[in-house]
Formats: sequence, C-alpha cells, structure tokens
Amino acid sequence: MISIRLPFIGQCLALLLLLLICSWISLFSWSVITITPMDALHALYQMNAESIAQHIVHDLRLPRVLIGIMVGANLAAAGVIMQGLTQNPLASPSVLGINAGAALGMATVSSIAPWFGLLGTSVAAIIGGGIAWAFVMLLGSAWRGGNEHGRLVLAGVAISALCAALTKAVIIIAEDQAAGVLTWLAGSLTDARWQTFDSFWPVCVIGLLGAMLIAPTLNLLQLGDDNARNLGVSLMWVKLGGSFLVLLLVGSAISSVGAIGFVGLLVPHMARMLAGQDHRKFLPIAMMLGACLVVLSDTISRAIIYPAETPAGAILALIGAPFFIYLVRKRTL
Amino acid sequence: MATRSLPILLLALLGLLVANLMFGAVSIPFKSILEGFQVGNANYFTVHEYRFPRTILAMLVGAMMALAGALVQGVIRNPLASPDVLGVSHGAGLAAVFYMTFFPDADIRWLPAVALIGSLIAALMLWWLCGQHSSTIKLAITGVALAALYASCIDFLMLVKPLEINNALLWLTGSLWGRGWNQLSMLLPWLLLIPFALWLAKPLNLIHLGDDSAISLGIKANKLRLASLAIAVGLTASCVAICGPIGFLGLVAPHLTRKLVGGRHQILLPSTMLVGAILLLLADLVARTIDPPIELPAGIMTAIIGAPYFLWLLLRTK
Amino acid sequence: MSLSTHNLSVGYHDKAIVKQVDLTIPEGKIIALLGPNGCGKSTLLKAMARILSPMEGQVHWQGKNLHSIASKKLAQQLALLPQTQPIPEGIKVKDLVAYGRSPYTGFWGRINKDDQVIIDKMMEETGITELADQLVSELSGGQRQRVWLAMTLAQDTPYLLLDEPTTYMDLSHQVELMHLLRKLNLQGKTIITVLHDINQAARYCDHLIVMKQGEIITQGSPESVLTQKLLKKVFSLNAQIHQDPIAKTPMCVVE
Repeated sequence: MISIRLPFIGQCLALLLLLLICSWISLFSWSVITITPMDALHALYQMNAESIAQHIVHDLRLPRVLIGIMVGANLAAAGVIMQGLTQNPLASPSVLGINAGAALGMATVSSIAPWFGLLGTSVAAIIGGGIAWAFVMLLGSAWRGGNEHGRLVLAGVAISALCAALTKAVIIIAEDQAAGVLTWLAGSLTDARWQTFDSFWPVCVIGLLGAMLIAPTLNLLQLGDDNARNLGVSLMWVKLGGSFLVLLLVGSAISSVGAIGFVGLLVPHMARMLAGQDHRKFLPIAMMLGACLVVLSDTISRAIIYPAETPAGAILALIGAPFFIYLVRKRTL
Repeated sequence: MATRSLPILLLALLGLLVANLMFGAVSIPFKSILEGFQVGNANYFTVHEYRFPRTILAMLVGAMMALAGALVQGVIRNPLASPDVLGVSHGAGLAAVFYMTFFPDADIRWLPAVALIGSLIAALMLWWLCGQHSSTIKLAITGVALAALYASCIDFLMLVKPLEINNALLWLTGSLWGRGWNQLSMLLPWLLLIPFALWLAKPLNLIHLGDDSAISLGIKANKLRLASLAIAVGLTASCVAICGPIGFLGLVAPHLTRKLVGGRHQILLPSTMLVGAILLLLADLVARTIDPPIELPAGIMTAIIGAPYFLWLLLRTK
Repeated sequence: MSLSTHNLSVGYHDKAIVKQVDLTIPEGKIIALLGPNGCGKSTLLKAMARILSPMEGQVHWQGKNLHSIASKKLAQQLALLPQTQPIPEGIKVKDLVAYGRSPYTGFWGRINKDDQVIIDKMMEETGITELADQLVSELSGGQRQRVWLAMTLAQDTPYLLLDEPTTYMDLSHQVELMHLLRKLNLQGKTIITVLHDINQAARYCDHLIVMKQGEIITQGSPESVLTQKLLKKVFSLNAQIHQDPIAKTPMCVVE
C-alpha cells in the first residue's frame, strides 16, 4: 500500500511524469553509439539531420518507446477488463491462454500464408486468441459464474500449454529449423519500427477508448451477476463486448511485439492498490502503469547483457511469475 | 481387466521399439536392423550409435516419469498431481541449466545430482507455499505457477547465455535430441529406484483408503508419503537431467493405466511404466518422422496429447 | 484390562478436545460412546486407534504404550472404521475388502486361502457378496459403508473401533449391523462404537460411556446410566425414561 494517498488527478499527473521520465531514459540509455540525454530531446524538437545519434533516436528508439507505451497500456487495460468480466483476480491474457492462442494464430498464418502481411497476422492473432479464450471460458465453467476461480485458471494454463506446443511445432516445421522459436515466443520490442507503429495506433486508440466506455459497467459487475442484471446491465452484451475489446487490445499488441506476458496480471492489482476499486479511476491508472512497466523493462532488457538484447517479455516473466504465486497464495481459491 | 491389457501393452511396446529403430530421417528395412548392430555394417552408425540408445532411453525415461507420476498421485490423492504439474520437473531443469550456464567446464555426469537438488528445492518450495491441507485445485495452480516461474528463469538464463538451439529446446520443452550411450549410462544407476517404488505397492493401496484407515491397517502414513515422494523426485530429477522437462507424461500415463487395469498398485505400477514407455516412444517417433530431417522436441508431442487430457481431468474434478 | 487411557489429552492444533481422560475399556462387551456434538467422542476413539498422538498422557494396550508397539502388529489387534472415507477410484469391492488382510500378508500383498475364507465370510455377513465385482466408486452411500465395514471386519481383530458405523444406512441395515455386532461380540470380540442414537445404544450395547466437553461424565450399564438427570445435564434434553416394551431396555422419550 502507498502511504500517501494522492488525489486522483495528482496520481495521474505523477504517473504521467514518471512515464515521461522512463521514456526519456529509454530514448538515450544503453546504446552502442553514444547518445546524450540532450540528443534525445533534440531529436524530438529540432532534428539535426547530420547527427547519427539523433537519427537513431528518431528512427529506432522513438517508435520503440511509443509502441512500448501502447503495448503496456493495451495489456493492462485487457487485464482490467478480464478481471472485471470473470471476477477472478488471476485473470489476465497470459494466464487465461489468450496470449498463447494469439501467438498460435499468428504463427500458423505467417508460416502457411505469409503473403497476408501484417494485417493478416493481426487478424489471425485476434481469431486465435478468441478461440483460445472461448475454450477456456467453456472448459473452465466460467459461464456458471461464482466460485470456479481455480478451475478457470487451470483451464487457461492447459490451453496455453497446448497452444505453445502447437506454435513451436508450426514454427520449427515451417522455418525448416528451430532457431527462430525462442525469439519468436518471448515478446521483444527489438523490431518495433515506425511501420509497426502506423498500423498499431488506430486499433490501440479504439481499444483503449472502448475500455474506458465499459469501465462503469465493470463496476456494476463487481456486485455479482444477479445484482448487475437487476441494475439493468445486459450481461450477455457486456461479456461479448468486453471479450471483443480484450481480443482487440491483446491481438494488436501481440501482433506488434509478440507475446509479452504478466503485464495484464500484475498491473491491475497495482492500480487497484493506488486508486481503489472504482474502474473509472483505476483503469487509466492501470494503463499508465502498464506503459511505464513495459518501457522500463525494455530499457532493462537492453542493459542486462549489453550490447546484446534480451527480450523484454523474459524480464516481465521474471517479475510476473513470483507475483502470480503471491496472488495464488493470498487468495482463498 | 489386467490380464487382457498386459499382453496388448507389451506387444505395442515391442512394435514401437522396432518402429523407432526403423523410421527416421532414413528408413531402414526390418531385416537390415539386426545387421546394423554389427560393426562395419552400412547402418551401424544409424542403428547402433544413434537410434538404439535413443530408443532405449525413450523407453526408460517414459517408464520412470510415469512411475513418478503414479507415486505422486498415489500419496497426494489428487488427480491433477504429477511431478510436471507440481513444478518439480521444471525445478530440476532450472538447476541443470543453471549448472551448465555457470559451470560450463564442470563434469556433465554430475547433472542428475544437480537436477535432484533442484527438484528437491522445488518440492520443498511447493510444500512451504501450500502446506499439508490444500485443495486439489489450489495445489495444482501453485504448482503450475511455480513451473511457470522456473520456466521463465530457464528462458532467461538461455537468452543471457545462448545455447545451441536444439539443446535450448531440450531444456525448455523436453526432447530426446542427440541423446545416446553417454546419457544412457548416466541414467542406469537411477534404475535402482524402481524396485524400491514397487516395494511400496501394497502400502500405497492402503493409503488410497484415507490416512485413518491406512494407519489402522498398520501403515505409517507420513513415512510412506515421504518415501514415495522422495522416490518420485529422484526418478523425475534423473529423467529431467537427461531429457529435459517432458510435460504431461507423469500426469497422463497413470490415469490411462488406471482406466486399463484398475487401481491396485501391484498391477498399476508396472503397467504404468509400460504405458509411459509406449507414450514417449510414440511421441519421439512422431516427432522425428513428421517432417524429416527436421526434428520436433518430443515434449511438444506429449503436450499436444497431454494438455487436452489435463483439461478433461479438470472437467471431471469436483 | 487390555485397552486403557491414562490422563489422556488429545486434540488438533494445540487445542485439547479430550481432556485428561482415565478410562479402562471393559473387555468382551459392546461399548457405546455417547455425547453431544463436539464432545470429543470421535477424537477419543481416534486416539485409542493411534490415529492421533496424545498431547499428554498415554493409551495402553496390554500394559504397553500404544505408540511403542509395531504398527503392523497392532493392526492385528485393533481395527478402526473411520467416520468418513474417501472414494477410491478403480478399486473393486472384493479388492477393497481384501485390503483388510494386509496386516497379515507379505510385502506384495498376496492373499492366501485362509485370507480368502475370511474375506468371503465377512462379505457374506455384511451382505455385499453380490457386489464383489463392482467398483466401489459406483456404489450408493449405504452400500459403500457396508463395504468399508467388511474391510474393517476382515482385519479380524479382537478389538473393533467403529466411528458412527450406521451413517448412510437405512433402518433395516442399521438393525442388521447391530445384530452383526452382537454376533461378533459373542465370538469374543470387544466392540467400541460411537453412536448418535441414544435409544439404539441403550438397546444394543452393554456399556455406555457418556462424554461432555472432553470429559467422561459417567459410564456403566444402560440401566444405571440413562437417567432423566443425565439427559438434562449432558444433552440439555427434557426427557422421560421408559422401558422398551420388547427388549426391556431403557428408552428415552423426549417431552
């Protein structure tokens, strides 16, 4: 728990400041060619076309940071929506199999029909994630609602294992070698360029706006299905709409940078500690926190075995998995 | 039931043994296999140096992992329990990878012992997190979460210190890639655990009836639990040290066997070893022949069979 | 003089449920443990069957501390039927009953001819012979209770400890069970059973032990134990004691 409770606006501003600082550090730190902090700022405002450092910032680092921010916000929002829909504290894209399903969809399409390009893989990611999500909800008895938390999680884990195995098989067979698998499976921001950014941001904005719109309804779902229905919520539409939003958010994030895990599990809980249980407040907080987390772990991922890179997803898994255990231990399942 | 199933299982095992020797990147006709064991034959290298030890290894590892699963399910009375679901396999794998990453010059023969330490720590960790009286589902989730943690650590270590890719896949998903006589000789001493496991068959039957009844029938319940978990951990660690954390085998094989021959451990334990051997031989055969000369890790195949089975078990668990 | 407790305290998680009980089980009788819920009768029974270790004091079997006797040897002397049993998967009725012979068999659990005779006899006595080839998990609650009883009987011990053996049974099977217990008693067995039904205990048992809040209030024959005052004191019941018109044993009728 945080000791000083800032008012909501204060929290937002503080997080925004934090996000800006993280992004700024990420722009100049740990580069093979020295980049000064000032270079990073100049590249944004008055680009000096002669400076290699500023070119690196503008062409490589800036899209990478921006995509990191969007991915973090997307995954965090998806986590919040999933936890709201299932009323399950462990729900998140990686635990409930959406990540793995989306990765499988992408791997299948990009190896069987590579001519579809980026749009095709995004759609495949959304469809794959959607199928996995539907299976998990069915098998985890989520439609019965109530006290089946553990079952849902185990169903998600099993579906994840299945999808991961199939994904590996597809990649190994399609690439005629096994080398691509590891970088493919752990999400990484290394290949994030302006091109990715251009196709990513419209979906991201739509998804995040949709998430804000659904937030008040998620508050009502906290009272339980029956009470929510009593208060005039159409459960089926909320669940379908919410699921669609989750798929949009996760699918676009994964097709841009790969399956980054545990942000969606970790961040909503942190946001709740900061801002309390009101979804209208902690959803934006969660988005900013998620953005900070991804940008930060991307920076760390460059630092660990500098000058080589480790995927940011691997770092997040190292932070996220102990937190997962902590949650399992804390909650009575 | 048992009398009918056993001959069929034995036949299947024999058939798969032969098939594993015959098929692969190049198919060898049945007649040439026996000749392949003679030094100097054209197929000597393929059969004697490559396929034969690997096939035997697959059989032994499958049997040992299945036996470990049966022991764990026997004493924890939890249908979802098995060394891989409880994170013990990945604990062993993490220890092995850790050892190879930070002591690259050290003797590879110590690997099973190192893996044993890792799996013991993983088992203690689970015990510490869950305590004695956890619900079925909570135990399984904690185990799965721990397995995820260890897997991400393995992942991380390998990204920091890159290994050859087939080797890396071996430690991530479990595979028999490149395993031969050396590894087989590393595994042999651990086969001694099998008679000890079979010795436990009778008390395992009784602990199935609940602790109260078992004690009343003259069984020391806690000692038995400790003994069979220790044997299971040993079996798992030695297998993982050699083939990596092959998933779902320890979970699925005992369940399938219980369906075939019933729950009496005197029959269940030997049969589950047969079933485990059959499953892994089959998985490795498919993994090698689906798209030769590329090899899939056998762990991928067991996950493709095992994960749906796990889901089905989950649906039935109340 | 065979089974006795000395200053015995037992319980769970450092909390004593049975407190400093001194008790000698009279040999060759059917003994009922009675008392309100939570009085510690099951706990006392489990302590006498060495399921629970004493926090204080001792349980003695033939003058020796129960926990110093080899477990397998003791299993040939004392048998317990627990209150609740798990439902084992993939086990047939005849296998389950045969497990009752395990204190006598070797390490592989092979059943010899003598064992088989006892198993068949006990299955017949409990009326489950025709269920022999069914799976235990497919039986009804009452049938399953009888199967477990048969297993406990197959242990063939001079002392039988039963924790509410009539649970899940319909009335006719309850009566049959009580007759079976009497028959076993006449063959020389001592039977200690926890019962809920006071009238059943008074009618079929020789010796009643009444407990309340972990202590023994009184014990003795049904006639001497069952009084209006006792029922009021232990069970907070206003009841009259009448004579059972058929068995001539005391019987309580709630006012």
